[in-house]
Order: sequence, then C-alpha cells, then structure tokens
Amino acid sequence: MTDLETLAKQVVGAGESPRMRASEAVSGPLIRQWTQAMGDKNPKYQDLAPPAMIQVWSMPGADRTAFQRDRIPLDDLLDALTESGYTGVVATNCEHTYHRYLRPGEELTSTTRLTEMSGLKRTALGEGYFVTWAVTWYAEDEPVAEMEFRLLKFRPREDKPQPEKRKPYPLKPAVNQDTEFFWDGVRAGELRIQKCGDCGELRHPPGPICPACRSANRTHVVASGLGEVYSFVVHHNPPVPGRETPFVVAVVELPEGVRIVGNVVDCPPSEVGIGMPLRVIYRPMDDELTLPVWVPLEP
Amino acid sequence: MAATVKYDEVEVGQQIPPVEYPVRRVNLVMYAGASGDFNPIHWNERFARAVGLPDVIAHGMFTMAQGGRYVTDWAGDPTAVIDYGVRFSSMVVVPDDEEGATITVSGIVEDKLDGKRVVIALNARSGDARVLSKARAVVQLV
Repeated sequence: MTDLETLAKQVVGAGESPRMRASEAVSGPLIRQWTQAMGDKNPKYQDLAPPAMIQVWSMPGADRTAFQRDRIPLDDLLDALTESGYTGVVATNCEHTYHRYLRPGEELTSTTRLTEMSGLKRTALGEGYFVTWAVTWYAEDEPVAEMEFRLLKFRPREDKPQPEKRKPYPLKPAVNQDTEFFWDGVRAGELRIQKCGDCGELRHPPGPICPACRSANRTHVVASGLGEVYSFVVHHNPPVPGRETPFVVAVVELPEGVRIVGNVVDCPPSEVGIGMPLRVIYRPMDDELTLPVWVPLEP
Repeated sequence: MAATVKYDEVEVGQQIPPVEYPVRRVNLVMYAGASGDFNPIHWNERFARAVGLPDVIAHGMFTMAQGGRYVTDWAGDPTAVIDYGVRFSSMVVVPDDEEGATITVSGIVEDKLDGKRVVIALNARSGDARVLSKARAVVQLV
C-alpha cells in the first residue's frame, strides 16, 4: 500500500468531521448572483435558495485566508495528493439529497466524511485517484441536505512536443505481390522496372506474367532514373484530393525501353513539352508515402 | 408551494421536451464569483491547457445545476426536487468566442414512485459529448 493509500485509509477511519460553520449565510445577494450566472429567472428564488446551491454556502472562496474553517482529515489527504504531483482536479460525480429548502438568513453547519479513495487509475487526463466524500448540512441540528461528491485528482500529463505530423496524403498506391518490389525501390531511392526471369523482357506496369514469353518468373532492374516526355496532359479539373491544380501527368519514356506514368513537378506546365529530358526524384507525400516524380533534367 | 405537474397526468416513458442553455465565458466568471469556486480551469485558458484540458471547461456544478433547473422548470416548483444525482461524463468546453457552448438537456419520466413522486432521467449534451450521465432526479408532484 502506498503512503497515499495508507493516509486515505486513516482518513476513512477517522469518520465524520466535527461540525464546521458554513462560510456564508444563505443570502439574497448570493442567490441573485448565482441565478444570474445560470440565467435562471424563476421568481421563487427571491425568497428561496436554489437547491443546487447547497455546497456554495460552504465554499471557501478565492481568498482562502478570509474565511478559515478548521482543518479536517480530508484536507490532509487532498493536500498530500497535490504534493505528490496529483495537482489536477476534475469533479466526476455528484449526488444531492434535499431534505428541505433554505431561505435567506439561515446559517448552516456541515460535516464531511471521506467515503473512499480508489487505487491509482489511468484516465484520459492522466493517472490519478478518485476521491469520494459525503457532506451533510445542518440548520441548527436539523439535517437539510446531503451530498456525495467524487473527484479525480490527477497528475497532468507532461506536454511532450509532438513532432509535426504531416497530413496523410489521401491517394495511396495499391501495393500487392506484383508491385511491392517497385514501392520498396522507391523507399530505397531506386526506380525498379520489372524484368522477366526467363526471356529478360522489361515490362511496366508490373504484372504476374511476361507478355512476351508467358513466364511467371520475374525479377527487376534498377533504371537509370532518366527519361523524356513521351506524352502529357495538364490537369486543371476536376479537383483531386491532396493536389493543387494545375499539375502535369506525363508518360515518360525511359532509355531502358519502357514507359511510366508520373507527374512532372518543379516546372511550370506551360514549359513541359514532348521530348523534354527528365530525371526522377523521390518526393515524400506524407510521413509514410514517397512517390517518384519527374523534374526537368536541365534546370 | 406545489408543483404544477400532476402525478396522475404523468406516464412512465413520457418525454420532456429538450431545452438549450447557452454557456459563455461570462457565465463561468459569474458562476465562479457566485459559487466561490475559483478553480482557474473554469476561467483561465492558459492554466486549463497547462493541466492537460482542451480549453476552459464549465464547472461541473454549473452543468449539474442547469440539469436541476430543467427539472424544476418542468415541475413548476423549485422545491419539488428531492434527490438529484449526476455523473460528469464529459467536460463542457467553453471557447472564448461569441457562441461559447450550449448544454442541451432532455428528460424522460423513468418511474413513478409511491407518494406522488416520479424519477426523471436526464440527458445533457454539449456538442457531440454527453456531459451528464446517470443523471436522475426524484421529484415530488401533486
């Protein structure tokens, strides 16, 4: 059992706190401020306190030195949690029971008792403990309301500076058994062209069977990365996800003897022409995908 | 004082129409002053983000009280609510702009008890998030 859990057990064992004087008498001005914050214009609150205000009468306020109630064991536990790094706090559950309604001028006292503290829990906000306590409010000796309240004391997660993630490029190539070698090559900075394992014919795009000899044996060669524009279009419309128009789509003829489709980049579309010498570059589209694209050989 | 809703006219399963309650930063500042809860996560964006929250969030008790108000407005009498409990299942994030956030509360008559009391189950949402769950109020009708 951790020190915090031992302390919690002691505080539960200590039971009900002595009666504490509430910080505020039930008062018209505070009721008005509260109902205005809520936007609640119910006329009955002119001489009646809204029931959900019950714990307001015991709140210490912003200046905790202005109203000092006696310390209770629960304070020790909450302070110990804060000192152990569980500085964050969010309310998680609240249950009220109203025995009767309160009128301006009434002065209350309350008792508090720790019901339980959970073990260390992992939450979306960070690791922490759920602490549950029960409060009973009295007017003279008459219990007027009860509350069971649970909050999470959590250790705020360290703000780790996340490496800037690129937006994923929306168009992903289909990678399969036939094309995997090509994309592996792109990642390695190679332009790989499929080659028949028997007759040696080059083919692109990749496929399972050699169109010349019908062999299913295959291998690949690494192309020089040079080429020239065989044909091209300038795409203006329709819009393509992840792309800015206009862009050039070219059929590039490689000196190895096959043609490959790719974008011509870093060059105004008006300057692209048939026969234009190109070289391949590898452009990261997002954190995972790299595409081979073409740029003019002569800058 | 008495509720205006009559026990005999209420049926289990009866829906109570939803009501939208706007929440802007100013409401949280007012609520902090009125409730004595000055936890900076309810008014200071810098602090809220430093402790891992997305932005300033509404006081849980503010959200709970709007749910309570929904019930008292329906019943027609603030003294009609006898027991009221909620679970704060999501935070009401209140951005620093003109719209702020909206808490939409709806309810259903879940049970009729002896002594002309009914159980109202509440559903409170803000944006896509369900902000109160297991929210139940026991209401004394006439």
